[in-house]
Amino acid sequence: MQLAQWVGSINRSVILVAAVLGLGACGESNEAAKTAAQADVDYAANAAQWIDAEFQPSTLSRDQQLEEMAWFTQAAAPYRGMTINVVSETLTTHQYESETLAQAFFAVTGIRVNHDLIQEGDVIEKLQTQMQSGENIFDAYVNDSDLIGTHSRYGYVVALSDFMAAEGADVTSPTLDLDDFIGLSFTTGPDGKVYQLPDQQFANLYWFRHDWFSDPQLKQRFEQRYGYPLGVPVNWSAYEDIAEFFSVHVGEIDGQKVYGHMDYGKKDPSLGWRFTDAWLSMAGAGDKGIPNGLPVDEWGIRVEQCRPVGSSITRGGAANAPAAVYALQKYIDWLKAYAPEQAPGMTFSEAGPVPAQGQIAQQIFWYTTFTADMIKPDLPVVNADGSPKWRMAPSPHGPYWEEGMKLGYQDTGSWTLLSSTPLERRKAAWLYAQFVTAKTVSLKKTLVGLTPFRDSDIRSQAMTDMAPKLGGLVEFYRSPARTAWTPTGTNVPDYPKLAQLWWANVANAVSGQVTAQAAMDSLATQQDRVLARLQRHGALGDCGPALNEERDAQYWLDQPGAPKPALANEKPQGQTVDYETLLASWVRAAGEQAGAQMD
Amino acid sequence: MSRRSRLSRWVLAGYCVYLILPLYWLLTLALRSNADIAGVFELVPSNPTLANFAEILTNPVWYQGFVNSISYVLLNTLISVSVALPAAYVFSRYRFLGDRQLFFWLLTNRMAPPAVFLLPFFQLYSSIGLFDTPLAVALAHCLFTVPLSVWILEGFMSGVPTEIDDMARIDGHSFWFFFTRIFLPINRSAIGVTVFFCFMFSWVELLLARTLTGSEAKPIVVVMTRTVSASGMDWGVLAAASVFTVLPGILVVWFVRQHLVKGFALGRV
Repeated sequence: MQLAQWVGSINRSVILVAAVLGLGACGESNEAAKTAAQADVDYAANAAQWIDAEFQPSTLSRDQQLEEMAWFTQAAAPYRGMTINVVSETLTTHQYESETLAQAFFAVTGIRVNHDLIQEGDVIEKLQTQMQSGENIFDAYVNDSDLIGTHSRYGYVVALSDFMAAEGADVTSPTLDLDDFIGLSFTTGPDGKVYQLPDQQFANLYWFRHDWFSDPQLKQRFEQRYGYPLGVPVNWSAYEDIAEFFSVHVGEIDGQKVYGHMDYGKKDPSLGWRFTDAWLSMAGAGDKGIPNGLPVDEWGIRVEQCRPVGSSITRGGAANAPAAVYALQKYIDWLKAYAPEQAPGMTFSEAGPVPAQGQIAQQIFWYTTFTADMIKPDLPVVNADGSPKWRMAPSPHGPYWEEGMKLGYQDTGSWTLLSSTPLERRKAAWLYAQFVTAKTVSLKKTLVGLTPFRDSDIRSQAMTDMAPKLGGLVEFYRSPARTAWTPTGTNVPDYPKLAQLWWANVANAVSGQVTAQAAMDSLATQQDRVLARLQRHGALGDCGPALNEERDAQYWLDQPGAPKPALANEKPQGQTVDYETLLASWVRAAGEQAGAQMD
Repeated sequence: MSRRSRLSRWVLAGYCVYLILPLYWLLTLALRSNADIAGVFELVPSNPTLANFAEILTNPVWYQGFVNSISYVLLNTLISVSVALPAAYVFSRYRFLGDRQLFFWLLTNRMAPPAVFLLPFFQLYSSIGLFDTPLAVALAHCLFTVPLSVWILEGFMSGVPTEIDDMARIDGHSFWFFFTRIFLPINRSAIGVTVFFCFMFSWVELLLARTLTGSEAKPIVVVMTRTVSASGMDWGVLAAASVFTVLPGILVVWFVRQHLVKGFALGRV
């Protein structure tokens, strides 16, 4: 065959391929034309239209809303015509932002926003990719405040306090009112700077069937057997008694099998949240201190100044201390003895909707994100008039817990800006972040997504009106008790690296391969190994880990605070409180607090 | 009918049920609401709903995900086949210095897991402005599909006697005429099989597609992750999306089925 001919035909193939490649590059949009068209837009009229049609109710008057929107229009003028990309996990709140608020923002400012929704794990992955490569993937992220210890140390995240005072001053809303954000302390680093802006917030609370707990016959049977009244459990002993009561002694209600406990235990990353979302603090493993125990937090990590010094008991940590082992053991015992047979094989997502099916009497570890799905009509847990048969209440605490410690988990998904994002894009994204949290829109957003994040919204009339449908959500957020529910804090220097150690170790204990003590020992050792690696790496600056020398465990157990020595009796007398009495005490305390603020 | 053939029919029927059951289950999930899915066990949905399909078809994020995926998969298939055809022809017809080594080297590309190439590809595409485009994913997939295509096609082409090349030359046909009008039609089945494998690899690959895209070229496999959230899983919508993701594969098989059967029968895959 003639080689020249062959080469010629190959050349033609190359040209064909090149043409195909060229096609792909033709996707650029003509931004310039769009910008020209936007010059004539009446932004004030758009704002008024959105305020009247969508952003009602609001804690602001219509004039205040118009004024706030006018500021956004004016501040966004230099960025008009831009398209920015932001990303968050999938929650009703973010769906509302992505589908409605992004449109409103465009109508008011002329900045187009692609608000992407993907699985939380993927958001973290994109965030990490951008942090490590320095390439701008998204212009802003909604990222849980659990990463505050990571963000404040690595230096990839823009400290908002600095940004608002310097290069971002001209795009920082005068009506932002930072103190109104109830999760602000969660997004503040050990240096006192705010790193993230809260966007939505949810808690992990105790959930129970109020109708069954109010049933006189059941109440009488419980009191006869256990010697104290059936009610909201204050401690784990009472929770255990109630779990046993429903699973073993009641067994069936209206011909249907009922259970006194629900949980999940599949070997899956979501099993890690079951623990890192404050389970150990509920048992009482850490130290006193809000938002997180100091010097030892609920991950069992001890810090000195702001430096993590160890999580094994031999280094002064509490990840394998008696309280932590007790917390793991109780989780396993209850899962096996009182939860439905299929629960140990379930993940977080599979177990979440189970209580709504009407067979569960109580759940100690329940996320308020499930509220919207639990108040839908026709569910077995909703009355004919639309009011819930269930309530949420403060989580009970374990025997190691002391007054002044955190009592549960509360998380705030927060706007996070990275220093690798070009300044102009970062400023436009900051405007969007403030827009979706502005008082003009925040109450409506809260009513849609039920993830309140502004104090002014929580105290609004609209929330009071909605309260009876929400099973105690509003009452919880209005109560002073709320501050005892907090996310992972600043003791955790690298959340992604440390969080992944938990689920595998816990799963080994659930399956019975190792004892609870061995699982927590292994976890503590692995955490220390990661801390040692971070220490050697030295990238975390002045608040990076600096491990303590190992010494006899007894030395640390003898010191005050965590790690605490084993209690002789881990099951003290069960204690319950009447739900209505509890509510009344919250309302009273909230009133006193409001009064004190006015003084 | 003998007892033995009756038994084999039962076994065959059982095997078919076994194969079809997951697909049937996927379809029934897609036709039910989440409360229904989590609440009761049903073989046939008692309250079928099309709401899940409506969500996929009316929400631009969902159908844009399909469009993105299809565009990079087609691009990848086109590039792979058009690059692999001449390459496979050369490997099947010519002996040159290092040909065996080169051929084997192509295969070694298939031996590395895609994760190995994540970081280099990400940095490369970011630096030349290809990040978050369908072309980036298509080119990245080429690293795996081109060697595969060359291997499949070379096997078939080597089976075609070289006398055909000679006869075409003697008849006075140009190489281009011979290659496109005589040689390619002979290898139709091979191309069918190659298209099938390229399409399938690119369609189901998640790791590269996820890492090399942001929001503009987001593939359907990434969009599907939005059904998992802190408020549980949207099983119905996930199942509906999955039903749609099965369809392109079925379509490809439908169109190339004649060639596919011959291709597989020739035992070259």
